[in-house]
Amino acid sequence: MDKSRIRELARNNIVTIMFVVLCAVCLIFSGYSPSYVAYELFGRLSRNMFIVLSLIIPIVAGMGINFAITTGAMAAQIACLLVLEWGVPGIAGFLVAALLTVPLASLFGWLIGKLYNKMKGQEMIGGLVIGYFANGLYQLLFLFIFDNIIPINNPNLTITGSTGIANTMDLSREGGIASSLDKLWRLPFSQAVLAFAAVIAVILVIGYVKNHEKNSKRLGIQLGILAVAAAVCQTPPVKEVFSMVNVPMITFACVAVLCIFNVVIMRTKLGQQFRAVGQSGTVANASGINVNHVRIIAIVFSTVLAGWGQLIFVQNMGAFQTYGAHGQVGLYAGAAILVGGASVVRATNTQALVGCVLFHLMFILAPAAGKNLFGDAAIGEYFRVFLCYGVIAVALVMHAWSAGAKKKKRAKEEK
Amino acid sequence: MNKKQKIKRSQKILCAVFLAAAVICGGIGTYGVAARSSESGSEILSDMRLQAILDTAGTGAVDAYVEAARAEATAKAREEGGGMEAIREATAAAEEEARALAEEEGIGSVDLSEIDTQPLAEALNVYVAAQEAYYDEEAAAQERYIEEHADELVTESAEDLAAESEALSAEEDLAADGGDDMGADIVLEEETVDLSGFEATEEMLALQAEADTAYDGLCDEIKKIFPALTDEIMETLKTTISELVVQQGDTFETQYDRAIAQSGMNPGLQGMIMRHGKTLAASAVGLVILAVVALFYTPLVKKLGFPRLLIGLFYILLCLLAVIYNLSLPGQISNTLIRLGMNGVLVLAMLPGIQCGISLNLGLPIGIIGGLLGGLLCIEFGFSGWFGFAFAIVVGLAISAVTGCLYGMLLNRLKGSEMSVTTYVGFSIVSLMCIAWLVLPFQSSIMKWPLGNGLRTTIGLQTTYRHLLNDFLSFEVFGVTVPTGLLLFFGLCCFLVWLFMRSRTGIAMSAAGANPRFAEATGLNVDKMRIIGTMLSTMLGAVGIIVYAQSFGFIQLYQAPRTMGFVAASAILLGGATTARARISHVIIGTFLFQGVLTLGMPVANAIVPQSTISEVLRIIISQGIILYALTKSGGENRG
Repeated sequence: MDKSRIRELARNNIVTIMFVVLCAVCLIFSGYSPSYVAYELFGRLSRNMFIVLSLIIPIVAGMGINFAITTGAMAAQIACLLVLEWGVPGIAGFLVAALLTVPLASLFGWLIGKLYNKMKGQEMIGGLVIGYFANGLYQLLFLFIFDNIIPINNPNLTITGSTGIANTMDLSREGGIASSLDKLWRLPFSQAVLAFAAVIAVILVIGYVKNHEKNSKRLGIQLGILAVAAAVCQTPPVKEVFSMVNVPMITFACVAVLCIFNVVIMRTKLGQQFRAVGQSGTVANASGINVNHVRIIAIVFSTVLAGWGQLIFVQNMGAFQTYGAHGQVGLYAGAAILVGGASVVRATNTQALVGCVLFHLMFILAPAAGKNLFGDAAIGEYFRVFLCYGVIAVALVMHAWSAGAKKKKRAKEEK
Repeated sequence: MNKKQKIKRSQKILCAVFLAAAVICGGIGTYGVAARSSESGSEILSDMRLQAILDTAGTGAVDAYVEAARAEATAKAREEGGGMEAIREATAAAEEEARALAEEEGIGSVDLSEIDTQPLAEALNVYVAAQEAYYDEEAAAQERYIEEHADELVTESAEDLAAESEALSAEEDLAADGGDDMGADIVLEEETVDLSGFEATEEMLALQAEADTAYDGLCDEIKKIFPALTDEIMETLKTTISELVVQQGDTFETQYDRAIAQSGMNPGLQGMIMRHGKTLAASAVGLVILAVVALFYTPLVKKLGFPRLLIGLFYILLCLLAVIYNLSLPGQISNTLIRLGMNGVLVLAMLPGIQCGISLNLGLPIGIIGGLLGGLLCIEFGFSGWFGFAFAIVVGLAISAVTGCLYGMLLNRLKGSEMSVTTYVGFSIVSLMCIAWLVLPFQSSIMKWPLGNGLRTTIGLQTTYRHLLNDFLSFEVFGVTVPTGLLLFFGLCCFLVWLFMRSRTGIAMSAAGANPRFAEATGLNVDKMRIIGTMLSTMLGAVGIIVYAQSFGFIQLYQAPRTMGFVAASAILLGGATTARARISHVIIGTFLFQGVLTLGMPVANAIVPQSTISEVLRIIISQGIILYALTKSGGENRG
């Protein structure tokens, strides 16, 4: 590889590289043991990955980061409340909540899509404002409509001595859905790696059989890497690092399925339409695609997926702040996917997953590192908030910059 | 526009229906209010009150009678030498007997029509007047007390709050990292002074004595009806009766409701009309307005825009509700005026931004931080009074001029997507400054945490320039306190911006914002104009926060400035600006409407649903909804 290509690669992934360095510095100064960090990281990944992946479709469809996924989270929390009210316990309750989320989030997504179509080019700021606006409606719903107009009979859910839904929703009580998905099937890390490696191998082989090219060399390399990776994970030092990790298999399987879904849908006709609309609305329109319709579908997908993501999040946490849990969803997910090297017009599964790992690594490490470096945990705390916003700001600035440069270039060429 | 706009038939019918309803409501309501002071009306209330008092006294009388019987029975049983058991039995039997007897003879119940109520009613009226005078004096004295002790509160509550936020930030993960709370800036204003140290003044004691004499007169009259009552019983009944008759902060409606609940009488139709007279009259006014709106709906919507019409109507509704719930309107108006001046300059900061073509300047926190630094430096050097205020403004302007210039240069490279970028740039700078507040080497003990590092979240301004503008030349008209200095300052800022907009540069700036290509073609330097506009907006933001802080009494650090851009943006949009065009009138109207709805909304919502946060929720919905609306109107077109 020649130098200029490396330089370009570095420039394109500057945010990711910066974050890797930051994480490394924080890891050194945090004083945490690797096994503790691995444990924390896996906990956070299992509950946050799904939501981050839900951002991909709108980015491909040219609407930037859909900050309005907070409404999907709200839909999930409404579903959660209803399931708790009805007292459907365990995994059944989780499934009911997931089913309920679909119509609610679809409705929200449809409305948001309609709004986005009225403010093309301003979707990101619009999404942020929609999130705040919806938060107002959500509070209206939870404080004044539930328990007043719609009766809630479960006394654990309401504020005692007043009306409205309680501040914290505890899912771990009897009849709750706390960790219902996580505890279905848990495996120690090394075995989990074997299981996932096996599944990936099967998928690769199927792909090989179905593919017309029969590129056996590529298959061999892929399988080889997989086998080495699985074998490395069985060695004692690696096992030692991940000794505290207990992998919730089904949760990660959901994430894997969503990744596959994101790939598969891009190969369907609908996926092609997403791409076409994302590249140029006018061209897509000329080729007979109903642009507004496709954009609405993309948002509906994103919102429903985000709702499921939030369900996974709350069942993992076991409790959530009724009036605060959804607030930062859009911000964190958006920052995570950008950290992974995505931009507001281009995003892949890998970027989302890598970003998620780096972002949450930083989240775990920053306060401790701040405390050890500056003697104040609050500095690390504020630093990571700053990083969230800063990453998004930098990504937006860089995008606007390059878009402006392209425009100028084109204008020059036309002359 | 065609002068004779066609009015649809359905609109006419709707208008007529509203008008008819208004006339009916108004008629009945006026009658009801008038009846309150008329003879027959006051008789109804007086009768109900008397009945209630007599009922209370009657219960007392029965108790007295029964008690006497019991005592007698106990004595008798003891005389006969029975054991404890026997005594208890005898007492119980006597009590039952006495109760039955009392009921039979009607000791405890009196029918109003059977007795001569004239002297009783007169005694009652004397008592009510005396008690009311006492309560008036008490309320006035308490108000004075609160005013005197407001300063103490300021320090205490700020410390409490700071401690709270400290505790909050310690919570992990679940507590929504970063504390994204749209409503945090309002909490402080609802503090009340602790009245536990309040002592009765001399005037109050004198009035109290007068009320006591009046009460004795009333007792004499009651005793004539219930001979069984003793002075002691009347003394124990005193609180019940006085609470029944008159309470502090009473209105006709509450007195009436209490009298009904206690007496169990049915006051009939006239009573009903009297009770709801004010409500009806207020609804009549509302209906008339609705009728007018229905008639001129189309031109109004065209002129004002739907959201402004809606919010305007909502504001009128709140005013009417305030009248119905007997909230002190002058107090609310003074609050609105203060908040108008307090937020006005911040809203004004939006104007140059919109005019120069960067659309809503949601990066306003950048300017705000300049102003905050100015204020902090003023405290640090120990300046106070007018000099301190001027110093803070000059420093704020200097800092924000530099940051505004840089910010404007950044924005010039991002034409077309300013809003989303500026929002996040603003957010990230606010969180960066959070770290700065922790590490900056300020020394003043007013600003630092007593323990630990960094500056407090709220810093009191008593020692520097709190309420400097508010109190300057302020005067009172009809109970409305006019913060002359504050309004003058706001007016001055508006005037200066107005002048600037009419200067060569201002006109060039507006032209560059309205049509950059055309402006470029006529030889204007569009980029330079945009930088000037952004700088001006940022600098106004700095001045705005200093004015805000002096009126609020605190400098708020950390997360507080983050959402101020949104609040200012929604206010100017509410005033009728779009994301591409704004005028001074939009600033003033918008701030007044927005702050008016807020100030009135809180007490009205609390009167309807006590202890609720519904006004806060409404604030979020209104302010974000209006921005959303403006965005949908601006979208679709590609500028630049």
